[in-house]
Amino acid sequence: MKLYDYILSPSCYKVRLMAALAGVKLDIRPVDFHPGLEHRGPELMALNPAGSIPILEDGDLVLTESSAILVYLAAKAAPDWLGGDAAEEAARVQQWLSFSGRLTASLGGARLHEMLLRPGDIGALQAQGIAALRELEAGLFEQSLRGQRFLVADRPTVADIACFPYVALAPDGGVSLDPYPTIRRWSRALRALDAFIEMPGIHRLHELKPEPHIESGEA
Amino acid sequence: MTQDAMIDEWYPVGLVSRLDGNGRKTALMGEPIEVASDTDGSARVTSKGRVLPVRVRYGHVWASLGQPQKELFAIPEADQPGRRFVDVGVVRVRCSPLRAVENFLDIAHFPFVHTDILGSEPHTEVQNYKVEIREDADEVWATQVKFYQPQAARSASGGITTEYMYRVPAPTCSVLYKTCPPRPGEWDVITLFVQPLAEDLCDVWPWMALFDDESSMTDLIHFQQTIFLQDRSILENQIPRLLPLDPGMEIPTRADLTSVAYRRWLKRRGYTYGAQLVAQ
Amino acid sequence: MLSDPTGSWTPVVLSADLPPGTVVPARTPAGPIALWRSASGRPSASADRCPHRGMRLSHGFVRGETLSCIYHGWSYGQAGNCLRIPAHPGLAPPETIRVATHPVEEVGGVLWVGVGEPATQPPQLAGLVPLRSLQARAGVAAIEAAAGAKADADGLLETTQGSQKIHLLLACQERDETLIHVLLEGEGSVAERVAASRAVEALRRKAEALEMERDAP
Ligand SMILES: N[C@@H](CCC(=O)N[C@@H](CS)C(=O)NCC(=O)O)C(=O)O
Ligand code: FES
Ligand SMILES: [Fe+2]
Repeated sequence: MKLYDYILSPSCYKVRLMAALAGVKLDIRPVDFHPGLEHRGPELMALNPAGSIPILEDGDLVLTESSAILVYLAAKAAPDWLGGDAAEEAARVQQWLSFSGRLTASLGGARLHEMLLRPGDIGALQAQGIAALRELEAGLFEQSLRGQRFLVADRPTVADIACFPYVALAPDGGVSLDPYPTIRRWSRALRALDAFIEMPGIHRLHELKPEPHIESGEA
Repeated sequence: MTQDAMIDEWYPVGLVSRLDGNGRKTALMGEPIEVASDTDGSARVTSKGRVLPVRVRYGHVWASLGQPQKELFAIPEADQPGRRFVDVGVVRVRCSPLRAVENFLDIAHFPFVHTDILGSEPHTEVQNYKVEIREDADEVWATQVKFYQPQAARSASGGITTEYMYRVPAPTCSVLYKTCPPRPGEWDVITLFVQPLAEDLCDVWPWMALFDDESSMTDLIHFQQTIFLQDRSILENQIPRLLPLDPGMEIPTRADLTSVAYRRWLKRRGYTYGAQLVAQ
Repeated sequence: MLSDPTGSWTPVVLSADLPPGTVVPARTPAGPIALWRSASGRPSASADRCPHRGMRLSHGFVRGETLSCIYHGWSYGQAGNCLRIPAHPGLAPPETIRVATHPVEEVGGVLWVGVGEPATQPPQLAGLVPLRSLQARAGVAAIEAAAGAKADADGLLETTQGSQKIHLLLACQERDETLIHVLLEGEGSVAERVAASRAVEALRRKAEALEMERDAP
């Protein structure tokens, strides 16, 4: 499977992360998103006229939209991550996958503005981002009351992967994560999963490894 | 307008490859400026109608708000055949331009911030190295800096002990020379050119001149963007935002001698835009 | 709400939101702090600024009984003394390298940080069970108005939302920002706790609207 990827794109990172967690090996095709704007060039526009990445190719299949790509990877390699098919759980997955689009528009927009100088109404983007974070915090808190650590169950699903990157990188767009204790615990639970991988801006949880004993090499 | 000695320095204000007739609005030390290409294709930088001195070099357009006393610093490697020149692109950071440069001069953070790329535990020790302020060139230099790196460059295939030299030729610019895996005997050149927008806000323009015939240009850009974006979240969370020049305020160790020399040089030269002089 | 000139306690985080081996940011009248809990469960509060290069320690990590800075890995003990400088593994850090610390008390499922030298213990909050914390962009007055009740000297107020009695423990953050800890009388069922959480979300919306009105010219 070939992923048209940009290393700093949280949407592309969703796909890399899901693939890592599902044990799928991706063939990465780096896209010069910044400064080259390659995603707006003829080759990529032919694959995705929306001019966005990620794009996944698997044989003749071309998929766009990160949520769809997450579902495809999970269905192929890690069906547990799709969530159960009981009515409520299936619907909840869809609810948070849709919600993740709002995170992209708000927190993602603020991040592009603050970091890569993309034009936009930064005040409005940040305010929408904060509204979305509050919604997520409340949703995760209610889940915790039901004894569930993740968005739709007590195990992570594609819904968590769809929401995590833009949330974790909210500070890149000038939106603080300090006021959200439940988001903090959820984020930590995801980062502590076996096979979790980072992207730039999300640091390693160094405490997962014991403190090394170091001998000084100097005299 | 500030009377800081930094006013007469050259600063990067845009990529040459992205110049266009429409012009790009940006800022330099609090002054709004506009960077455009003239009818003849040359770069033109204006501030409130005033035409600023301009240079086009190292992939970037450079300008000054004052009257530069010196020519833009030389990077001889920029003319060396066989190197690939990489425009990494701009990244905005909410921090002092001087903090951005100081971080670039630091290796002790590699294992914690650039984990498994530029450093990893337990290889955290910083060996002694040499630091000097070269009075003739008026530059800060650190040499014989060595560090163990799991993946020193895009082209590296395993851990090596890398040697670095650091150079600060201007208050908001640094040039580093590092072991070049495919070409023993040569140095890769990686720079950090910082455009001060305000005392606590900057646009960072990394640029590289590498020997690497294997990696694609996009791979090279992404490698450097990865590294810089790992630093960005640190830079935006240092307190205070300005770089403290009062020696009592932060605690350096031997590993920080480059930073100590950099701060001393800034103070001596009166380069204090983005600095905090008194402890708070 | 009173302010004690010799010292006071600020409720910063619920115990449940600080599991062993983690660190969180918090604000107190004495400035930003990094509140952390060691692997063995001991809570500590330090200034949220590493003495080395000023990095926020709340971005760091907890290994065993120490807090480490994310930037260069310097680690600190509970008393704020520097224990390890990874760049110099052979060096015992001098006593002079330390980060300022504050007293911490854990009472009734709430972590309180002392500012100055409080002469008393933090309030007991007997019979109350913490639910969750949330931040409002509204001052205490707006929250009191939205709740229809006044906070007492400890910052505690009682309000009835729907059929439920809810207690709010308020900690002033900055001007017009308040941290609200929600407390209930007893555990309650899951449905009751969900309802209380939603009721406080609604109360926050109301308080923030009042705050905006007040700010409007
Ligand atoms: N709805 C898309 C959005 C992904 C998205 O926003 N991708 C960004 C990169 S992070 C992009 O390609 N943006 C195009 C642009 O902003 O020009 C998805 O989830 O795949
Ligand atoms: S800033 Fe904390 S260890 Fe360097
Ligand atoms: Fe770095």
